[in-house]
Amino acid sequence: MRNNLLYTVFFLVVAAQAQTKMTDSEASHLKNQVKKLATSTKTITSDFVQYKHLDFLDNDIETSGKLAFKAPNLIKWAYLEPFKYAVLFKGETLYINDEGKKSNIDIGSNKMFKQLNNLIVSSVKGDMFDDTKFNIQYFKTSKNRVVYFSPKDEKFAKYIKTFHITFNENGDVTEVKMIESTGDYTKIVFTNKVLNKTIDEAFFTN
Amino acid sequence: MKPFLLISVCTFLLSCGSYPKKNNFKSLENFGAIVNPYFANSNQDYVYKAQIEVYNHNFGGLFIMKKIAAEQHRIVFTTEMGNTLFDFSFNHGDFKVNYILDDLNKKILINILKKDFKTLITEKLEPIETYKLDSETVKKASLDNKTYYYFENPETYKIIRVNNAKEKVRFLFTEINNNIAKRIDIVHSNIKLKITLKSIN
Repeated sequence: MRNNLLYTVFFLVVAAQAQTKMTDSEASHLKNQVKKLATSTKTITSDFVQYKHLDFLDNDIETSGKLAFKAPNLIKWAYLEPFKYAVLFKGETLYINDEGKKSNIDIGSNKMFKQLNNLIVSSVKGDMFDDTKFNIQYFKTSKNRVVYFSPKDEKFAKYIKTFHITFNENGDVTEVKMIESTGDYTKIVFTNKVLNKTIDEAFFTN
Repeated sequence: MKPFLLISVCTFLLSCGSYPKKNNFKSLENFGAIVNPYFANSNQDYVYKAQIEVYNHNFGGLFIMKKIAAEQHRIVFTTEMGNTLFDFSFNHGDFKVNYILDDLNKKILINILKKDFKTLITEKLEPIETYKLDSETVKKASLDNKTYYYFENPETYKIIRVNNAKEKVRFLFTEINNNIAKRIDIVHSNIKLKITLKSIN
């Protein structure tokens, strides 16, 4: 009897979290929705919490902060807790402010950084539907939709094996999970996301 | 010319003196083993915000250390955004690179880090000699054929690696609370390398 109950509970839990593959039409609906939203998005501001998961640790490492995006490709990623660290992606340069210590990285010459930079910009909007660069798989759960983007470039795949991007009903990104080749991952959860509100230019200085 | 020669000879002779002599250490009877408790608790995730200055370049990241079991440690360094830059394991005497970003995969760099991290995780050593310096106890020890001086006041707060009577690397543990050093500075004097670790958990 007890076992039966256990199985039932287990089944319910699994079913609630189960991911099923989207149909082709569901997938293309999501794709269109995301692309449309991405095109009409001129600015984004959001809070975020980042969880770094390493299998050997007892707890995930939690950091949090604020993100701002301005079309076409201006992004500031600012960690506020438990330390202050900001990266501003502006053109071919990364401007870093590490607890007051400022430095720049020219990413123009580094293919890997360039790729990563482009990905960060596109993953914030979720618009990464490029079959030439990724193997793409579409899933749905009872709550939301998740797309797996696995880089085809072998060198890049060594760095990040798969991106899992979670979309809400509007086609907006609520979560980005970057899984490394070892299985360890970084998960970023967005909250208080606001689209198309004017952002003070001063925020994009470092 | 002559005074100059004299000074040179004196400097030469002085620089040939041992590290304890140069620093006015007074010999003592043996005062027990050296204890470094800062990465010794296997129930603790050690997470530090790191700032690294190497040849006037600055970069940062997260320094993550876990004692997996007795004499087994895992050390991972990631960017602030979470991407792993390197991942090392120490298992008893063995050292293994689990992962390192291609751009950082240089033997000389790995060896420097390996030596520094080995010092951080070594919990106990038998001193070869013990000295007194003011109110502090200084213990000399050998680790992987290198000479180290451990400074205690009364807990270990400084470790100096010495070669030819000269300081090569300084490890400084400050803001110590409950066997956790909230801040650790690793300063190399023969190469321009400085690592600052600030605990964030």
